[in-house]
Amino acid sequence: MSPPLLIALRFLGARKRAMLMSLAGIVFGVAFFVVTQAQTAGFESYFIKTILGVNGMVRVEDRIQGGRVLSAADGSAFAIAVEGSVKYIPGVQFPNKVAEALAGFPEVTASSPVIRGNATLLANFREYDVKPHGIELTTFVAVSDLESQIIDGSLAAFAENPYGLVVGARVARRMNLQVGESVLLDGAGEPQRFRVNAIFETGIDQVDRERVYLHLAACRPLLNKPTGASFVQINLADPALAPALAPRIQQAIGHSTMPWQEREKTWLQVFSVLRVSSALTISTIIFISGLGMFNTLVMIVVDKTREIAILRSMGYTRDDISRIFMYQGGIVVALGVVLGCVAAAAGTWGLSKIPIRIRGIFASDHFVVLWDPWHYVAAAGIAVVVVLVASYFPARRAARIEPGSIIRGSSS
Amino acid sequence: MSLLRVENLHRWLGEGETRAHALRGVSFEIESGRTYAIAGHSGSGKSTLLYLLGLLDVPDEGRIWIGDQETSRLDDEARTAVRNARLGFVFQFHFLLKEFTALENVMLPMRKLGRLSEPDMRAKAAELLGAVGLGDKVRRLGNQLSGGEQQRVAIARALANDPALILADEPTGNLDQANADRVFALLRDLAHTRGQALLMVSHNPELAARCDHVLHMKDGRLLD
Repeated sequence: MSPPLLIALRFLGARKRAMLMSLAGIVFGVAFFVVTQAQTAGFESYFIKTILGVNGMVRVEDRIQGGRVLSAADGSAFAIAVEGSVKYIPGVQFPNKVAEALAGFPEVTASSPVIRGNATLLANFREYDVKPHGIELTTFVAVSDLESQIIDGSLAAFAENPYGLVVGARVARRMNLQVGESVLLDGAGEPQRFRVNAIFETGIDQVDRERVYLHLAACRPLLNKPTGASFVQINLADPALAPALAPRIQQAIGHSTMPWQEREKTWLQVFSVLRVSSALTISTIIFISGLGMFNTLVMIVVDKTREIAILRSMGYTRDDISRIFMYQGGIVVALGVVLGCVAAAAGTWGLSKIPIRIRGIFASDHFVVLWDPWHYVAAAGIAVVVVLVASYFPARRAARIEPGSIIRGSSS
Repeated sequence: MSLLRVENLHRWLGEGETRAHALRGVSFEIESGRTYAIAGHSGSGKSTLLYLLGLLDVPDEGRIWIGDQETSRLDDEARTAVRNARLGFVFQFHFLLKEFTALENVMLPMRKLGRLSEPDMRAKAAELLGAVGLGDKVRRLGNQLSGGEQQRVAIARALANDPALILADEPTGNLDQANADRVFALLRDLAHTRGQALLMVSHNPELAARCDHVLHMKDGRLLD
């Protein structure tokens, strides 16, 4: 063990209470930082998982037509696009061709055409406006989490029934629907009969209270859309690829293509602001601990001025003296980070067990947390920087002590 | 070759109107295995000279050789290294680190020098404490020892790295007569038996007279 480290360890006891307070501050700061980040990031990631499971990672929608370009001169490479000249033609006219084109993108793992429209659901002498979604079940389950969203009934029964229906949980509740019940859907003026095979719940209020799924073939006459699709929902190997891939798909197939990050921008920003805000708030605990550490070390430097002088007289360099105080900060922050991380892990686990019913943007019956090592790294990084900066100034002050004048002052 | 040689040392202290010429061209030499006392009234420049010789201060003029090394223009780090390896200090107050035992206090200069292994450092520290009559108190913390005992630990600490020169600033000034006599005898005997030189500043003329040489100072000059 180096002499400065040994001396630092012994000096730590010089102001035990103040040092313990600083240590406690770092432990709580690190723990709270990690727990709040685990919680906000947990809710954010669960929201993303939910929204991707419902609306997919990328959607190919309206066809883009036109986009007038003015050239500087005939044959000139310099040209500008005329704003407002682009037209969007609703829907995807040839979904099979789009699917073929999408197969050329290695990042795309699955795609599924969907018809979307409006209809009135009639059952139990009640009427309720819904948004029927016509799907190809085999491909749609590959671009959504519909299988895991089923809370009653089964998709197998729906697959076997050409006039089967899967209804949102709030639609079922509002209309008092049970699995196996027969209902009428009126889309284009001619009501058609369907049987409820399953009930799904996404946790997203807007989806659960208006969406119903039916087979694509059965949906076409209902919505009077004999060909084409409203959109094609795409799944990717990595959701993070969506922003880069969407413009390439749009360029290739001439349809407006939107990644989930742009589609859910509002909510993602809300989560981002919450995460940054909680990080800043909790960091103040660590900053205050750093101030405490600064005060404690300054007091130790004042208390130990004569000891520092005698150490210098016996051959300890200014760097050695500086290290004694930097090591004290380092020891406290190392201990604080380790204990803080243990407390954070325990707190995060405990928080994940707290029952809380959440519905609206996702469905959960307990706190959602995200176990991310980067939260621990960030908390440790903030604590280390704050404490080492707080230790630097007292350490520098200690290193500047002139042994001769201190010893002479003490002797005279 | 003399152990220590100083040549025409000048030192001004203070600033502005309070600036005083504390040392006015001091020159002398000292030899190994001998004891020297610097005697003089308060303000004569004794301590200023001692702190310059101990490389705890830098002369405004003049030169200091320790052995064949000219030290007065060394930078802080080099002067610190010379202090660690070649000088031992005993001050009026013991300045023990209270968080360390007597043994650990004596080991502190050795740890910095880094020439000995941990067991060798312990053995040597125990031997030095035995030599100053504290062999049975090696595990006591600094504040569990009497004033005389603490000063003897400080002497053992000053001898830890076998310094060529021991510099003592009123080493008995804070002790009663019995302890003062004992500490001085200890310092003198250790210096003689180990071949080290002792240079001591003292107000006490009786104590100074018991050294091999007495250097009298007045108004920043050596009288002899």
